[in-house]
Amino acid sequence: MSENQVRAAAELFEKTPRDLRRQRVNRWMRRLVAAVTGLAVLPLIGVTVLIVAKGVGSLSLSFLLNGPLGSPPGILNAIQGSLLMTLVATLMSAPIGIAGGVYLNEYASSRVSAIGEYFIDVMLGVPSILAGLFAYLAVVPILGFSGWAATIALSVLMVPVVMRTTQEVMRLVPAGLREASLALGVPMWKTTIFIVCRTAFSGLLTGVVLAISRGLGETAPLLLTSLGSNDQSLNLGAPMNAMTVVIYNYAGSSDPKLVAQAWTTALVLFAIALVLNVGVRFKTVNSRVA
Amino acid sequence: MEPSMSQAEVVAKEATSTRAKRASGDSLPRSGLTGATLKLEHVEAFYGKFRAVNGVSLDIASHSVTALIGPSGCGKSTLLRTINRMHETTPGASVKGKITIDGVDLYDRAVDPVRVRRSIGMVFQKPNPFPTMSIAGNVASGLRLAGSSSNADIAAVVEDSLRKAALWDEVKDKLHEPGTSLSGGQQQRLCIARAIAVKPEVILMDEPCSALDPIATLKIEELIRQLREEYTIVIVTHNMQQASRVSDTTAFFTMGEDRGGYLVESGPTRQIFTQPKQRLTEDYVAGRFG
Repeated sequence: MSENQVRAAAELFEKTPRDLRRQRVNRWMRRLVAAVTGLAVLPLIGVTVLIVAKGVGSLSLSFLLNGPLGSPPGILNAIQGSLLMTLVATLMSAPIGIAGGVYLNEYASSRVSAIGEYFIDVMLGVPSILAGLFAYLAVVPILGFSGWAATIALSVLMVPVVMRTTQEVMRLVPAGLREASLALGVPMWKTTIFIVCRTAFSGLLTGVVLAISRGLGETAPLLLTSLGSNDQSLNLGAPMNAMTVVIYNYAGSSDPKLVAQAWTTALVLFAIALVLNVGVRFKTVNSRVA
Repeated sequence: MEPSMSQAEVVAKEATSTRAKRASGDSLPRSGLTGATLKLEHVEAFYGKFRAVNGVSLDIASHSVTALIGPSGCGKSTLLRTINRMHETTPGASVKGKITIDGVDLYDRAVDPVRVRRSIGMVFQKPNPFPTMSIAGNVASGLRLAGSSSNADIAAVVEDSLRKAALWDEVKDKLHEPGTSLSGGQQQRLCIARAIAVKPEVILMDEPCSALDPIATLKIEELIRQLREEYTIVIVTHNMQQASRVSDTTAFFTMGEDRGGYLVESGPTRQIFTQPKQRLTEDYVAGRFG
């Protein structure tokens, strides 16, 4: 390569003022986006730090194993109540939500499917207090203030979450798999369960966990249905305590001991939700075959 | 004339209805060693109101390979999918005309499309092994999900099917690895093994090599020649050399002015490629069209 050619190449790629300006703007824009991302994550870190800092002080084994009337007082009945009501609500809403999502995606005509999706959107947008109000007006008069009334209110909120996720993950299953199965002479229902749902299994599980997280964190519907209670009981037919209700009742108290208990309850709730989400993510990542 | 006609009709009707019953029950002949004769009479296929296939009549002999060739959009894949009643799984799709397998009308009301697909297997353009299943599981999937055979002979069928698909030697030491871990060509042979495992009489192939490299293609073509000994094969292909290499009979389709596809001519492959009767065919096989 002659010297002339080298010089020509250098001139060809010489940075113009325009290039320099573009690179400078690019640098600043990248910093700006990074900063905004940090701003979005900041509250999350703040909440975590605050809950741990304020909650860890009152955390003890007796706090987890005693009822509110024990000495020292604890939140065992609230933990049990939250877990039991969420479990029952999950058992009611997961089958309904998955079946509904499967129907809309695999069986319904495109028109029915569009209408169904519209209703899911509306349901997802319903403020949780309205679900509580619905149970308060429709269920409480029959079953009284009770764990059952609360599970129904929670189900109203959880079903659309499961349904939406089910629909979304089933849409990701390639059409070729359905065709392959049908072409083998596998009936439609078996294709749906053993091929489509099986392939989308980890996604379905994610939807259920999302719904559980939502159920665990709800407060307003419980205030109108299960009320809260000091009793140590697993009877869903009576008023029942829940962690979110404890937080709500204690956080505004003038007694600093109760306020501290509210923070610790928040920490416990936070830990349970975290374990659940991380646990499922870990499991689904490990079980993915494809 | 009149009485003998009606008598013939009665006989024909009885024959059809008993065969239809057999087809809907479990007694449809499935030796897997016979290979069935197909007869298409004035078959029309629709997507909604659009007629994608116009009045195709075609006889397909047992133990033969029939290639359907023609330019894109001429309806050959659609026609193929009417033969195992997969076409109707597309929303809005419908079929008119008559298709018989060994004289049994596939579209008879008494015939369950699921049973038709067990007798008429299909291999798709893109290899589509089930991602949640192992190699052995993929081959056994049709038996497990659609068949009635006991677990005891599944292992034997898996080995037999993989041998017939010329894949056994390559996978015998890793039968429990995911089907999707294989190369594209191996995956396609796995799909062929999966189709063979349910012991069909006819195997439909929809451009089975279009996603494969030349070496994998050659292997599939060799395999098709071997499978012809036991099955009736209908293959859609864009590759005219492939049609001339593997098929005994070739049917040439093209698109009409209404964009619907129709059959131009069919005959022994050698004749279609060397002495076609129609000008359109001559132009197409000579590469002057489409």
